[in-house]
Amino acid sequence: MSRAIFHVMLLRLLRDRGALAMSFVVPAVFFLIFASIFAATSGENFRPRLALADEANSEWSRRVTALLRDSSDLVLMEEVLSDQDVRRLVRRGTADVGLVIRAPDQPVDGITAEPRAPFTVVSDPSRGVATGVLTGQVQRAYARMSMETVTGRGPLVEEENVAGESAGLNNIAYSAGAVAVLFLLLSAVHGAVTLFEERETGVLERIVTGPGTTVVLVNGKFLYLVVQGFVQVWVIFLVAWVVHGVDVPGHWLQWTVTTLAAAGAAAGLALAITTAFTTRQQAQTFANIAVLILSALGGSMVPRFLMPRVLQEVGWVTPNAWALEAYTSIFWRDEATTALLLPVGLLVAAAILGLAVAQRLTRRLVSL
Amino acid sequence: MLSVAGATRRFGSKVALAGVDLAIKAGEIFALIGHNGAGKTTLVRAISGRIRLDSGSIRILGRDVHADASARSLFGLVPQSIALYDHLTARENLDVLGRLSGVPARDIPTVVDQALKLMALTERADDRTADLSGGMQRRLNIAAGILHHPRLLLLDEPTVGVDLMAREGIHDLLRELRRDGLAILLTTHDLDQAEELADRVGIISNGRILAEGEAESLVRSVFGEAKELIMTFAREPEARGLEFLEHAGLTRVEGGAAWTGRLNGGFAEVSELGGQAAQAGLTVDEVRVREPGLRGVFFHLTGGDLQP
Repeated sequence: MSRAIFHVMLLRLLRDRGALAMSFVVPAVFFLIFASIFAATSGENFRPRLALADEANSEWSRRVTALLRDSSDLVLMEEVLSDQDVRRLVRRGTADVGLVIRAPDQPVDGITAEPRAPFTVVSDPSRGVATGVLTGQVQRAYARMSMETVTGRGPLVEEENVAGESAGLNNIAYSAGAVAVLFLLLSAVHGAVTLFEERETGVLERIVTGPGTTVVLVNGKFLYLVVQGFVQVWVIFLVAWVVHGVDVPGHWLQWTVTTLAAAGAAAGLALAITTAFTTRQQAQTFANIAVLILSALGGSMVPRFLMPRVLQEVGWVTPNAWALEAYTSIFWRDEATTALLLPVGLLVAAAILGLAVAQRLTRRLVSL
Repeated sequence: MLSVAGATRRFGSKVALAGVDLAIKAGEIFALIGHNGAGKTTLVRAISGRIRLDSGSIRILGRDVHADASARSLFGLVPQSIALYDHLTARENLDVLGRLSGVPARDIPTVVDQALKLMALTERADDRTADLSGGMQRRLNIAAGILHHPRLLLLDEPTVGVDLMAREGIHDLLRELRRDGLAILLTTHDLDQAEELADRVGIISNGRILAEGEAESLVRSVFGEAKELIMTFAREPEARGLEFLEHAGLTRVEGGAAWTGRLNGGFAEVSELGGQAAQAGLTVDEVRVREPGLRGVFFHLTGGDLQP
């Protein structure tokens, strides 16, 4: 009998082009936008634009400039600028950060004796990341020059990647998971509130007076929401694989288990929240707000690792955080499958609990 | 077929059912009429197993609907609203609702085809329900209630919002179901429908069945050989007028300016009453004398009218 409800829900979706697009096209488009923004602002693709004024115009300042130009972490704007130009460009936002290289009174290796620093970083606090990147690059360039002068050796710092082969796609994989869970919850709420349509039209009354029960109805909806959610997430990760090269085929089993668990948790939660209310409007309004809050705390809107520690801890109460933990474990940290046990286990527990609550509360809906 | 004995149900301090006794036979249409809040819906919900009784029993073919879950398959419910999925076609609706009614999957195609044929909906079977006319939707609504071949059909206001032609079509359909041996309990506000369609009528008020039986015998028991007299006055009667009306056995139609009572004599009695009314300070606007029907019975038993 639950299959009959599944069938009703499926036909409702297939016959509503708007809903179809909202379910599968919009999330994919949203992901593409989100991924490019996210990757550009927090990952290795973020390259601040640097406005530079070389007031020293000496051999060592030209060497510093050359090292900064060669850096893959900065984009050096080519114009020859004054310090005033640099400040103006940073204030306007044309440049993310500025650097003024002052003329030193002593050679570079005697810089510690200088009363004034040879470099001035011109910053806008709203782009603090750019300031950090530039400061690091200047120090790196300075250290390299010192090493060259003193020992004749090469670079002082080497980089080691501990995030696995897919590290370059970490942010893309994270944003795919983040968008996926957000849309899982939104779609699940949208599907769950159809319970109220069934009550308003009398279909619910008809079902519960026959051999079918509210459990049949809720189970049918749960099953449908899990399948719909799975396909929805599949579309998002398909785009992540095709467009950005995220290695979904290489992790298909872990991805499938995680996605089924996340879809189940979203379905259970949405049904439980929805059935706790007595009218469609109450349920829809509250559930949408709940989804937004859960998604904000759980890392679907802002990456969890950019959040303050307290919010990161609070975020563990959300399904978003556990689903993202599982996805990052698969695609970011390249961990063993056993690392999925805790997050997937918690998602499955949330699914079962949500379903049980919804089954119980739906009986109340019938008697109202 | 259906036997309700001493059915009592309270909601807080409100008595919804106060010891209802009722029996319906196979192949019989029983119309339950009453005001809003009289207890019709509570009784239907109790029969369909949705609410439990405080005391009393409800049995269908001897099986207690609350104690024996399998008794649910013995009745079909047709809610007042169009309880269908409007994005599905007529056939798909019957398919889904048939499965939910417990019809085995292998029997679904046959059962659905039979129901569509019975409802004269075969040609529109693949149209979406939202595109069907009001009358067709009503017929489909009824079809969804009989897919599992119930022995008792519970119908709540089956012709609300349909035109006269569609109403007649639904009446014919219900008569056909009766011929097939189905027991039908319908609740209605439409006294003409109850009179025209039902084999027996029950009048319910404040959770009690005040009278039940064939419409004709109910009319006879209340009016005997008398006619029904309805008088309307130009102004609200004062004390002297009220005294006259009480003496003449006329009572006010609930919420209206009309007063009604039995007329045992002929036009001479009407004329005499008119004269007495004038002497009591009443200005008669209109006097009507008609053959009594269920409306009059309902009014005399409950003190109120269902329809203007």
